[in-house]
Amino acid sequence: MHFFANLMLLIALLAALGAGAYACLALLTGKRNVLVLIDRANISIAGFVSFASIVMTIALVNRNYSFKYVYEYVDNTLPIFYTLTAFWAGADGSLLFWMLSIAVMGVVFTRLNLFNEFSEKTRLYYWLFYMVIQAFFLLILTCWSNPFMELVPTPLDGRGLNPLLRNPGMIFHPPLLFLGYAGFTSPAVLALASYVSGELKSWVSFCRNWNIAAWIFLTAGIILGCWWSYMELGWGGYWAWDPVENASLIPWLSASAFMHTAIIQTKRNALQRSNVFLMSLTLLLCVFATYLVRSGVVQSLHAYGENGVGLPLLTFMLFTIALICIVLVVGPKVEGNTLSCLNSRQGLLVITAWVFLGLGLVVGLGTMWPVISKTWSASPVGLDARFYNRVCLPLFSLIILMFTACPWFDWKEGIRERRGLMLVGGSFLGGGIISYACGLHNPVALITSAASIASLVSIFALFVFMPQLRRVTSSIGTYGLHLGVALVFLGVAWSGPNKIEQEFIVKPGASIQLGSYTMNFKKMVEGQTPEMAKISAIVEVTENGKPVGLLSPERRIYRNFQQPFAEVSVIPSLGSEIYATLLSVDEQGNATFKMSINPLINWIWIGGTLMCLFGFVAFRKPRLS
Amino acid sequence: MAKKGGKGVYLAALILFLGGLGYLIYSGISQDSVYFLNVSEALAMDESALGQARLFGKVAPQNIQPKAGGLGVSFDLNDQKNAAQTIRVIYSGAVPDTFKEGVEVIVEGIFVNGNKEFKATSLITKCPSKYEKKNREG
Repeated sequence: MHFFANLMLLIALLAALGAGAYACLALLTGKRNVLVLIDRANISIAGFVSFASIVMTIALVNRNYSFKYVYEYVDNTLPIFYTLTAFWAGADGSLLFWMLSIAVMGVVFTRLNLFNEFSEKTRLYYWLFYMVIQAFFLLILTCWSNPFMELVPTPLDGRGLNPLLRNPGMIFHPPLLFLGYAGFTSPAVLALASYVSGELKSWVSFCRNWNIAAWIFLTAGIILGCWWSYMELGWGGYWAWDPVENASLIPWLSASAFMHTAIIQTKRNALQRSNVFLMSLTLLLCVFATYLVRSGVVQSLHAYGENGVGLPLLTFMLFTIALICIVLVVGPKVEGNTLSCLNSRQGLLVITAWVFLGLGLVVGLGTMWPVISKTWSASPVGLDARFYNRVCLPLFSLIILMFTACPWFDWKEGIRERRGLMLVGGSFLGGGIISYACGLHNPVALITSAASIASLVSIFALFVFMPQLRRVTSSIGTYGLHLGVALVFLGVAWSGPNKIEQEFIVKPGASIQLGSYTMNFKKMVEGQTPEMAKISAIVEVTENGKPVGLLSPERRIYRNFQQPFAEVSVIPSLGSEIYATLLSVDEQGNATFKMSINPLINWIWIGGTLMCLFGFVAFRKPRLS
Repeated sequence: MAKKGGKGVYLAALILFLGGLGYLIYSGISQDSVYFLNVSEALAMDESALGQARLFGKVAPQNIQPKAGGLGVSFDLNDQKNAAQTIRVIYSGAVPDTFKEGVEVIVEGIFVNGNKEFKATSLITKCPSKYEKKNREG
C-alpha cells in the first residue's frame, strides 16, 4: 500500500506538471479547446490525492504500524476518534490534508455556476497558476515530507498521540486552518488570472461567498486554537503572541483587509489592482505561515520539527512574489471609478483596510524581529507580548470604532443618519464610564471596552432606525458578524487586565481566598482507565457563604508518556469564570494550585462563534458584473 | 465619482496613519525589546550589555533542585548545541508538567551575578507539539 500511495502522489504530480505545461502551451500558441482536457486532469489529480488519503485513513483505522506516520501518532489504546484525526496530527499528514483540500476545493470551485462565464484566456491562466501550486505541494509530499514512509520491521504498538492533542479543540483547529489556507488558493489564482488577461467579468463578485467561507474556516481555526490553549495547556491564557500563533493571524488580517476593499470594488467598481494584490498577498501569507512554523527561522514555544521544507517554501514564496509583481505590472490597466471623499463609507472602509494591513505589518515585524535585528546586532533582539499589546490593541480599537461609525455614513459622501452617529458617540462615552465604574482602569482596555459597547448599541440601533435592513439576509449576516467581533473584544478588554491569578499550596481540608471567592480543598480522588492514571483535587467554591460550584482539576499520566499532564477545571460563567489547574501533589497530600478569575472570557468564544455563524448568513447570490 | 482633491485627502490620511503607526511601532520596539539568546550567546556577551532577556536552552541532567516546600526550581541551563556552556537558572514560580532533564525550555528574566546566573520570572518548556518527535524521547 505504501508503494501505491506514493505512486498516486507521483502520478498526481506528473498530471499537474503536464496540465500546467499544456495550459502554458495553449496560451503561447493560441490553441484553444484544451480546457476540457485540463479540467479532466484536475479531477484526476483530486482523485489520486483522495486515493492516497484513503490509504492513509485505512492505515490509521487498522493501526497499521508499518506506516511510520501511523506508528508515530497512534497506539493500541487511542480512541477511534483521535485515531482518525491523527491524519493531521503530524507535519507530513497535515500537508497531505492541505493538498487534499486544495485539490478537492479546486474541483468544486470550477464546478460553480458562472465559472465558465469567464473568458477562455482567463481560465487558461487560472489553470496554469493553479497547477503550479498543486505541483509544488505534491513535490513537497513526494520529496521532503512524505507521509507514506514504510517502517521495517513492523512494530506491535505505536507511540501514541501527544496527550495535549487529545482535545476536540486541538483536533479541529489544524484542519480548519488548512481549509482556510486552501480556500484562498482558487480566488487568489482567479484574481491574478483575471487581471493578467484583462477579464471584464468580476472575479470579486464571483468569489465573494467562497472568500467568506475560507475566512470563516480560518477564523474558526484561530478561535478554536485559542480555546484549546486556554482549556488544555493550563496556563490560563489563550494568546501568547508566539510566532506559531502569529503565523495564522497574519493571513487572517490581510484577508480581512481584502474583504473590506472588495466591497468597494463590488459597489463602486474601484480599487481593482489593490484587490488583486490583497487577494494574492493573502495566499502568499498562508504559505509564509507554514514557512514560519516549519522552517525554524524564528525560535518558538512550539518545538516544531524541521524536515527540510523551509527552503522549498522560501523558494516558492519568492516565486509567488515575483509572479504577483509581474502580473500587476504586465496586466492591462483597467479603467475604474476613483474613490469618493474620505468622509464616506468608502473612505472609512479604505482606512479600515489600512488598519488591518498595519496590524499585519506589526505582527509580521514583531514575529520576524529576531531575524531582522540580526542585520545590525550580534545577538538577536526580540519583542515580547507587551509590544503586541501596546501596539495592536489601539489598532484593534480603531477598527471597532470604524465599523461602529461606518454604517451611519453615506456611500458617496457625508453622514447618512446623524441620530445614529450621536448615539454611537453617546454610547462610547457611556460605555467608557460604565466600564470604569465596574473596575476596568487600564486606559487601552477601557477604550476597547467602550468601543465594543458602542458598536453593540450601534448595530441594534441600525436595525431600529433602518427597518429595510431587516429584510436583507446578507446585511443581517454582515452586522451579526461584526456583533461577534465586538463581543470578542469586550472579552479581550476585560479578561486581560482584570484577571486575578494566584498560585497556592493547600492542605486537604484547608481554604484559601481568591478575590471574593473561598476555595475549600476537600480531598484527592484517584482513578484509572486503559489510557491513563489520574488524580483529581476536589475543591468546593463559595462566595459569601453561598455555594458557587465544584472544581476538579486533574493530573494525568498517559500510557507511553512519562510526564504528568494537567487537566484544568472551570466553573463557567458569562461573568467571571473560575479556572483551576492542579500543578502538583506531594506525598503528604498537599496540592499546588494555580487559580484564576477571568472576567467575561466566555464572550470571546461566544463572539467567535457568532462571527463564524453569521458569516454563512452573509452569503449572497453571486453576480458577475 | 471622484471628488476634487479626493486623492490629496487620502494621501494626507495615509501619511497621518503611517505616522501614528510608525510612532506606535517605534515606542513599542524601544521599550519592549529584549535579547533572544542561546546560552552560548549570553555567555559571550559583555556583562554590562545584559539586562532582561529571553533565554533558550536545554535542562542539564545534573543539579536540578526543586525549591523545598514551595514553588520553583533551580537548574543548569545548557546551550542547545554545546552542553559545556551553562548558566544557572533560579526560578520561583510554578514548574510546568513537562519540565525535566533534557527538555528544551525558554526562560525570561534578568541576569544576576554577571552572566553566570539568571533569575527567571517565567519558565516555559517548549510545547511537545504535534510536529515534534524528539521531545518524547528526551
